Amino acid sequence: MALLVIGISDYQVSTKPEDVMITYSLGSCIGLTAYDPIAKIGGMIHYMLPLSQIAPEKAMAKPAMFADTGVPALLRDLFSLGAQKSRIIVKAAGGSQLMDQNKIFNIGERNFLILRKILWKNNILLKANDVGGVISRTLRFEIDTGRLLVKSSRGEAEL
Amino acid sequence: MNIKEQIVSKITSFPTLPVMANRLLHALNDPELASADIAKVIQYDPALTANVLKAANSAFLGFRNPVNSISEAAFRLGTKWIFQIAISSLIYSNLKKPIPGYDLDEEKLWKHSLAVALMSEALCALLRVRDSGSIYTGALLHDIGKAVIGEFVSAHFDEVQSLIDSRKITFEKAEEEVMGIDHAELGALIAENWRFPALIIDCIRWHHSPDSAPNITPAIDIVHIADSISLMEGFGYGRDELQYQFSDKSAARMNVNSNIIELAVSQTVMTLEDIENIFKDMPAARNGQEVRK
Repeated sequence: MALLVIGISDYQVSTKPEDVMITYSLGSCIGLTAYDPIAKIGGMIHYMLPLSQIAPEKAMAKPAMFADTGVPALLRDLFSLGAQKSRIIVKAAGGSQLMDQNKIFNIGERNFLILRKILWKNNILLKANDVGGVISRTLRFEIDTGRLLVKSSRGEAEL
Repeated sequence: MNIKEQIVSKITSFPTLPVMANRLLHALNDPELASADIAKVIQYDPALTANVLKAANSAFLGFRNPVNSISEAAFRLGTKWIFQIAISSLIYSNLKKPIPGYDLDEEKLWKHSLAVALMSEALCALLRVRDSGSIYTGALLHDIGKAVIGEFVSAHFDEVQSLIDSRKITFEKAEEEVMGIDHAELGALIAENWRFPALIIDCIRWHHSPDSAPNITPAIDIVHIADSISLMEGFGYGRDELQYQFSDKSAARMNVNSNIIELAVSQTVMTLEDIENIFKDMPAARNGQEVRK
């Protein structure tokens, strides 16, 4: 089994059933997995911010920093490896906030809102999500089965 | 002794900072000293000089010709930069230890502290707040109290958490209710014991409650905002998770909007890993003469 750690502002794809992807400490960031169960191809992204327009040069260097550049890049890579859009299963977790947080500064909420728009525009359904709260989440994603485990202080559960 | 007295009694046995840190900070605040004098202060300490030169020659800065002296580093990178590297390397050993009470593994508090320092730096630039290095240092040390209060949090965590769950209060308020003191106040007491400048002590004391400060300064607001953003973004937090509040008043005082916050995040994440790597195998600064009360 190869353990692939997805860092902050990073994404990876894999066609190897033995691979397991992990991402740690999702606060307002969002961890998204996309998986084709027939081709057994999957990928994971850990993005921090909603829109790249605030810093286009950063988006060039690190597309996975932003939802609007990172999520399409992840999907493109999966499709080029043979994943089919009609079969793709997308799940998301993270998007936490501080207590009683004002909407203007709520990066987590904006991160999730933009994600839904991107998926909606691309005609892709969000199969499951575990978003919000004041907790930190760690994700574990198995390429062989597509299983996604979400771990936090509340315990561990499959999404 | 009640819990608070037990906690406060630990302050004096807490590792002292190398005397060099104090010299640097006072040089920073001494109007008689020119900025070039910071370089002179660093040069007195061979271990510190070696650390600064190692950082100046790290791959990520990509100088073709090696930097051979502190004055050359100051010339190429600026006095502020060498101050930041020097003070970070002096504080590194106090922050890198694991803190079980908060579930902070080795290097995790360090990583969070460095993120808040770099985020403060980015905010100062975006908001045009001048910082000679005190805000950076306050940011770097804002959670130093966790290093002492950690073992007590360990013993009382369930009490703290159930108070948060039942009363919807923040983590530091629950700490104070259960133990009589929170990590911010304790950190300020540690910095007072170290005889740090008042501006830095204030950044530490009010980092979760800037609106309560008797004398609210941009430094306090910057460190509070930088800490809130770093917590949100997941830069090295522990068991306390996101159970804190972001002061809208603080944001209003500094004219911060979501654009500025997101810009600061995008800038910090690009440098955080590089700066972390610089420190990865940096030897602890020599703890020469200790600061005594």
